[in-house]
Amino acid sequence: MGKTMSQENSVGEHRLANGLLVLTKEVHSAPVATCWIWYRVGSRNEPSGCTGISHWVEHMLFKGTPNMPRGSLDRTIARNGGTFNGFTWIDYTAYYETLPADRIELGLQIESDRMVNALFEDEEVDSERTVIIAELEGYANYPETWVDEAVKATAFTAHPYHHPVIGYKHDLQAMGRAQLYDYYQTFYMPNNAVLVLVGDFETDAMLMQAERYFAPLPVGPPLPRVHAEEPEPQGERRVTIRRHGANEFLQIGYLVPDCKHADFAALAVLDAALSGARSLTFMGGGAQTNRSARLYKALVETELAGSAYSSYMPTRDPFLFELGATVLESRATAEVEAALLREIERVQQDGIGDDELAKVQKQLRAQVAYGGESVTNQAMQLGMWEVLDSYRRVDTLTAELAAVSADDVRRVAQQYLTERRRVVGHFIPEGA
Amino acid sequence: MTQNTTSRSDTITSAMRVVLSNGLVALIQRNPSTPTVSVRGEVLTGAVHEAAELNGVAVFTGAALIRGTASRSFQQIVAETEERGCSVNAGGGLHSSGFGGKALAEDLPLVLEVLAEMLISPTFPEHEVEKLRGQFLLSLRESEQEPGTQASRAVRRLLYPPEHPYSRLSSGTPETVAAIARADLLAFHRSYAPQLTHIAIVGDVVPEAVVAELERRFGGWQAQQALPPLDLPPVVRPSTVLREDIAMPGKVQSDVIWAVPGLRRSDADYYAAMVGNMILGRIGMGGRLGENIREEQGLAYYAYSGVEADLGAGPWAAAAGVNPEHVEQAIAAILHEIERFCADGPTDEELADARAYLTGSLVLGLETNDGIAGTLLAIERFGLGLDYIARYPAIINGVSHADIVAAARTYLSVEGYVLAVAGPAGGTQ
Repeated sequence: MGKTMSQENSVGEHRLANGLLVLTKEVHSAPVATCWIWYRVGSRNEPSGCTGISHWVEHMLFKGTPNMPRGSLDRTIARNGGTFNGFTWIDYTAYYETLPADRIELGLQIESDRMVNALFEDEEVDSERTVIIAELEGYANYPETWVDEAVKATAFTAHPYHHPVIGYKHDLQAMGRAQLYDYYQTFYMPNNAVLVLVGDFETDAMLMQAERYFAPLPVGPPLPRVHAEEPEPQGERRVTIRRHGANEFLQIGYLVPDCKHADFAALAVLDAALSGARSLTFMGGGAQTNRSARLYKALVETELAGSAYSSYMPTRDPFLFELGATVLESRATAEVEAALLREIERVQQDGIGDDELAKVQKQLRAQVAYGGESVTNQAMQLGMWEVLDSYRRVDTLTAELAAVSADDVRRVAQQYLTERRRVVGHFIPEGA
Repeated sequence: MTQNTTSRSDTITSAMRVVLSNGLVALIQRNPSTPTVSVRGEVLTGAVHEAAELNGVAVFTGAALIRGTASRSFQQIVAETEERGCSVNAGGGLHSSGFGGKALAEDLPLVLEVLAEMLISPTFPEHEVEKLRGQFLLSLRESEQEPGTQASRAVRRLLYPPEHPYSRLSSGTPETVAAIARADLLAFHRSYAPQLTHIAIVGDVVPEAVVAELERRFGGWQAQQALPPLDLPPVVRPSTVLREDIAMPGKVQSDVIWAVPGLRRSDADYYAAMVGNMILGRIGMGGRLGENIREEQGLAYYAYSGVEADLGAGPWAAAAGVNPEHVEQAIAAILHEIERFCADGPTDEELADARAYLTGSLVLGLETNDGIAGTLLAIERFGLGLDYIARYPAIINGVSHADIVAAARTYLSVEGYVLAVAGPAGGTQ
């Protein structure tokens, strides 16, 4: 086991012989610790006909192992005063337990066990099928779900970012135990995983425990790679969804580079100039910073829209830079779309001001500090960045963003936020 | 492992509690482990004090505080705070009107200055009020289209008499919010008073300096009228089943809510009901309800129960989101679990697990500045005392099987209850 230094506030990196990467960070501000395991698998790994399989496998990891039958996992964590969850996204699947620090070994025990021993019993597979379909139907009650799926499906013609993480209902009805178990055995391997431990512990003792639980797990065969690449879009595409609903809204997506690309930081600054620098994880908890930003001023203050947003997130492959707004009753959607696009054109022509750059820096510094209050949030950032690129990005990001100039922002807006790279999704309520 | 691995109760017991000369209560805790500070506060005036025809005025007033003060416009407030990565916010609720902010510790004075202006001298500029109304109406129309909103509204209407403020949702309806005048906001704001205000400040701060800052910003604030009494009408427990089915075109899933009138936070059987509810519908994947409806039958993605024990007796409710074809099966499962729970109460193992969870997870809620501030605020609202977290394990461990069965039989029922089902037409009868 190669081991680097470990001390408060620095991340230790350790590689087990079976390929599992272990990241540790001591944080002694509260007697709490968190254990995360990240797998490099998500809906981008799913072939057509098996959409939703990554998420279904995630659900099955809560359905028991020979050592920990169904129901005992959540009861054991609760009995120890902990919280837990799992989630699946386009690029990754992650699980965590946050516990009183003296109970953190339980997280290692659970995650090492279910990395290899999940049962996938037939009747549990069938029971979970309907739970997931219920989850899908719950999302389908919201018009936003239909528009988001249509925008992604329109934007991605060759790349699996085309389909929703939850999957298509037909695929969920058709898949069975054999496919799920095969998928699990393919991707749930120590050499495809990252273990992240953050909290009130001594690193050396923590590593000995990690070694004890995870070192015996066997290395898997090489993992299948995703070769698909979205071709350069050749023109604007539009999609209109008509369903029962309350308000018209727009969701616009531009195909933009992934998080390893040199333009990532400039695009992130552009996003922050449009709608405020946000917390870099999706657990929230940061400060609201959008009401002095460009989109709020141009769309909400002018009473065109009830809300307006932009979004750009780190992803493994090129994904979407998105804009959106909900149209106020008295206004026309065309006006709102024109106003959103005008804000992009303004940046393309004039760039952004030095005062905006300075504001984004300060906001980001504050958001990083707010996120640092919770060990769960810290571990989430380290794990997410490691599966996308490198955990070191958590530390370098502030400097990356600080190095962005107003010209860089103008250039990326000109280069990527173009008509031909754009998909415009439009929701029209009907029958209301 | 460091020192306070057991309960971290010192985080709360060592907080400073100060009552300003005008009656405002401040709770301050220094937490030097991060360079941040959280402010959370509330004024104990809310939707419970509003007239039925002005339903939504408390929420509207709370949200309008930031829309302009005697010395700053809305645009100035957000520009000045966001420029420094801080945020300030306010919003009304059922029993209280909340406010708060987050900042790097160096920016706490700005946050307190702005919050004090928002609470003491809001101006409710006409144009800003109209902008806010437009945003409210848009989101109200959206939530009216959600089965969960419709089911919640129906449950409250069925459980509480029309003169009871719990018979309505605090958000108001598109009709009432459209009719609220600026003068109504001004009038509601006159019920804000320092004697009704609690403010918790947690972070990398010097408590004595914070007290001086609070005196400076809030010390001159005086009540404008007599304090509003909380006088909730009596609630009659349903003696039979009151059911409402709401057909919603274009929806795919139905929301089912079962409910009975519950209890107040100050009632003697509160802890028995809370621990009982933990076992019935919360612990793990949603307690016994989650185990039955989600894990065993695979009917729902969510199934849980909640007991809303506040200054008044809110609903004790169970809910699930299911395919319209499974509505009756889900209702049967909810009733089965409630009947079984009233008959036998929890097993010894379930009770031990619930106690262990409630006491063991205390430290998790006291990790962040927001978590600590929220705990301090709840302690103050319900008069629990700063030794509450230290006493908490004994309180929870003192809840017996018999206490839980008694509370369950007092409140839960499979004969007299209300039921609301909102979802796609055709599958709900």
